[in-house]
Amino acid sequence: MSEAKNIEQEIEDSTEMGGAKHLSQKAIRKAYWDWMFWNLSVQNFERMQGPAIIKMLGDIREDLYPGDKEAQQEMLQRHEVFFNTEPYLGSIVPGIVVGMEAARAEGNEDITPEFINAIKTALMGPFAGIGDSLLPGTLIPILLSIALGMCPNGELTGPIFYIVVFLAIMLPLTWFLFSYGVKAGANAAEKILSGGIKDKVTRAAETIGLVVVGAITASYAQFNIGWTYTSGDLSINLGTILNSIMPGLPVLILSFITYWLMVKKNWSAGKTMLLFLVIAIVGYFCGILTVSAA
Amino acid sequence: MTFFQAFLLALFGWMGSIYSPVLIGGLAGWYTIGRPLVSGMIIGLILGDVQTGIIMGAAIQMLYIGLVTPGGTMPADVNFAAWIGIPLAMVAGAGKEYALALAVPLSTLGVLAVYGLCAINLFFVHKQDELVDAGKLDQAARIPVIGQITNFVLRFFPILLINYFGADLISQLVAMMPTQVTDILQIFANMLPLVGFMLLMRMICKTDLELILFCVGFVLVKSLGLDMISIVVLALCIAYMQYKSTAAPVSESEE
Repeated sequence: MSEAKNIEQEIEDSTEMGGAKHLSQKAIRKAYWDWMFWNLSVQNFERMQGPAIIKMLGDIREDLYPGDKEAQQEMLQRHEVFFNTEPYLGSIVPGIVVGMEAARAEGNEDITPEFINAIKTALMGPFAGIGDSLLPGTLIPILLSIALGMCPNGELTGPIFYIVVFLAIMLPLTWFLFSYGVKAGANAAEKILSGGIKDKVTRAAETIGLVVVGAITASYAQFNIGWTYTSGDLSINLGTILNSIMPGLPVLILSFITYWLMVKKNWSAGKTMLLFLVIAIVGYFCGILTVSAA
Repeated sequence: MTFFQAFLLALFGWMGSIYSPVLIGGLAGWYTIGRPLVSGMIIGLILGDVQTGIIMGAAIQMLYIGLVTPGGTMPADVNFAAWIGIPLAMVAGAGKEYALALAVPLSTLGVLAVYGLCAINLFFVHKQDELVDAGKLDQAARIPVIGQITNFVLRFFPILLINYFGADLISQLVAMMPTQVTDILQIFANMLPLVGFMLLMRMICKTDLELILFCVGFVLVKSLGLDMISIVVLALCIAYMQYKSTAAPVSESEE
């Protein structure tokens, strides 16, 4: 409640840093969908998402500068530059661009073209980093891990769970970030970047992720030891012994070894896969490893 | 595989590729139907065996679960790996180990497509500059729409052609494989999820001691046989206690 009030207050105070005051909700929505759909459509080495910024501003140019073709052209010309961020959690940055452009169009003299581009360029990097580490680095793999745990035998619930939960989180969240950026202008970034809430939420998500990854390791990874010691009537299977100490002990040990190699020793995925292939070939021909548990 | 099935695979494969705009950009595209687990479900629907599709999608998903694609660099491409690897393994009647074996080289092919696209699209960037400078603002704003053609061509046609013409070839190859090869691939495939999971651990595991949480999850499944939702509830509980214990002193000192 108080948080919401703070944000309201923040927006009130935001004239100097450039936030849209009079831009219609319809125009903001148009810009939002524009960005969401087209951000990576002509990805390229030189400008990355730059052309999408031009498209977004080009499509709302009549809302910013009604009938003033020269001002519209000038606005698009100053965005013929490199732009790259994480498009979804970083959607606040194009939002801020729209907010600042709107403030300039509304006659705020402090918002110079140089200022707009400086803010845009200063923010795209931090939000690319935050976005990548939170979205494909945390939220998506954790949701996918939960989904994987729900469909060990190909059940539909797994993928359906992922689709519904992911979109239910992301659609409102990206709209909030984008429209907040439009209304609060450059202040928005400061608020988001300085808040400690992000770190705490990330910490909690990582804890859930660790437990869930342990769980799907148990349901999906297999390492079956088939080596059997035979002496007369006595036959002892090493895999059975290890599993009777603790269910799944061979996989758990292999997990720790892989953790040590990949996380501590920084082995690449390719190198580790190659090692696994060698282990599979050697283990199979020596009769140490089998396809399924004895 | 019928031509119509290959056509549908190519269409959805394109819609789920990283630079495709049609499904709210990456939101319902790359990050939803582009995730191999979801791709597997759609492929299964197209080929008439949803369960196998999801099982194979899950196998590829695990390998690439920790994949982050920071601006412009592409360590691996799950698009061809899923939309070509899964259907070919399915029509050959092979197990998920063949989908995985196909996924790795296909991923490299996909990376080539990404870099090719980023080079070709330079044409559209300069076209847009010219249009803005000439005052043709409507046309300039349409460039991302027209420029999507590069991505469409580089995704739709490879998926269509390799699936349609490769199906028989892969079926014959799989049938020719001696059992030893299949067995070794299966042992290999059983270990592979660990590679994906540990890539993810690099990001979420901050200290070695946190491996205890990993072990908790492991034991809950292996020893207690709990289902995923129950495990998430327990994990939420641990995360909440952790949140409380770190949050409380901070707010006190602020007051």
